[in-house]
Amino acid sequence: MRTLVWLLVVGLLALLGIALSQQGALDPLRNFALTVASPFQRGLRAAASPAADFLDNVAERQDLEEENRLLRQQIEELTAEIARLKESEFTAADLAELAEVENSRPDDEFLVARVIARDPSNLKERLAIDRGSDDGVAEGMVVMSEGASMVGVVSKALSDFAWVTLITDPNSNVNAMLLESRAQGVVGGSLNGGLHMDLIPQDAEVEPGNTVATSGLGGNLPQALLIGQVTSVRGEPQDVFKTAEIKPAASLSRLENVLVLTSFRAARLMSP
Amino acid sequence: MRYLLFVPLILFAALAQVAAAPYFPLLGVTANPLLVLLVCWAMVRGPEETMALIPVAGIFKDLITTDPVGASVLALLPIVPLAAIRERRPTESEFLPTLAVVAAASLSYHLIYMIVLTAVGDGPPWLQSPVRVILPAALFNALITPIFYLPVRWATTLAEMARPSMSVPGLGER
Repeated sequence: MRTLVWLLVVGLLALLGIALSQQGALDPLRNFALTVASPFQRGLRAAASPAADFLDNVAERQDLEEENRLLRQQIEELTAEIARLKESEFTAADLAELAEVENSRPDDEFLVARVIARDPSNLKERLAIDRGSDDGVAEGMVVMSEGASMVGVVSKALSDFAWVTLITDPNSNVNAMLLESRAQGVVGGSLNGGLHMDLIPQDAEVEPGNTVATSGLGGNLPQALLIGQVTSVRGEPQDVFKTAEIKPAASLSRLENVLVLTSFRAARLMSP
Repeated sequence: MRYLLFVPLILFAALAQVAAAPYFPLLGVTANPLLVLLVCWAMVRGPEETMALIPVAGIFKDLITTDPVGASVLALLPIVPLAAIRERRPTESEFLPTLAVVAAASLSYHLIYMIVLTAVGDGPPWLQSPVRVILPAALFNALITPIFYLPVRWATTLAEMARPSMSVPGLGER
């Protein structure tokens, strides 16, 4: 009987808490909790990261790990540069209106933020950064890796912190295109951190190694922001669309610092 | 008085889950050390303390993640009724029932959690979740159970040994 009463009371209080947090009434409390917890979280992350690296690379030496990290970063930066150059080349050669879009964009302004936590849920792919609305971060802003590829979008901005929904989140959908064939599709996340591009027209040429970048369609994201590379393509000839598995360019599981693109405002955030 | 020790410990477990657990995935999922610790606690020490710790741990975890505040509390609630199996003593050992309760609590945790997420418009893909998340997470949580069960068991045994015993003539030690 006592257990039943406890279940009812705590259950009702939990439902009340859910309702209040959906209204945003608990955001100041969340901000306070993150302020208190973030130093401990940083400490725990700092302790866990080398242990995780050790487990991942038991057979490898420390210097090889460091070299590998640097090389990965360089590859990511170069791939992002190639994506940008390919886009510029295409713009110059074929589509003058794309040049107009590019020219109309102001110089990019970034805010450097440190990753303080990851959402531990197995059903979401989100991370917390130590910049919030007081620093100019707003919901809908694009977050990029240090190598200039896309990480995700700010989904919740508290006063001093913000939560970023990664492109690998199951509820994330990004309008994207293949730079080689110009074919468009939608890049979405899946459980376990996977990334795939759907709705690629059947007649589009897609091959492993192709580069995937944001298309800018819809106005919620800037154009030609590197997402990743195609690793495999699925789809039978009778299917209407093809699906491609994508390997994200950014190392999303090991992000330590990110860049918030503050100069780009999503179309849905602009006043009419 | 004892809660002065228990509450910081459980808050630390919640912090560790958020900050460190994502670094150690297995089978594509992250373990839930908070849930495992609470189940071990309930199975070894009885559900009374766990009834106080669940709201504290759940609310704190939700405050430092993107979950609606209260979602984890709801998802952790079944631990208490599930731990009632302890009173029936199905086996000589406490450990095997603890493993079973960890697996069952893990399944119910994800089920309730997914219902809450869906209700607030942040629902995961239901069809893929059982195979890709719920079952692997239950297995992973069961695998890490000894890491939490043994310290809780030893600490409880030590505490019981340290407690002054009361002797009643004719009835032996109580």
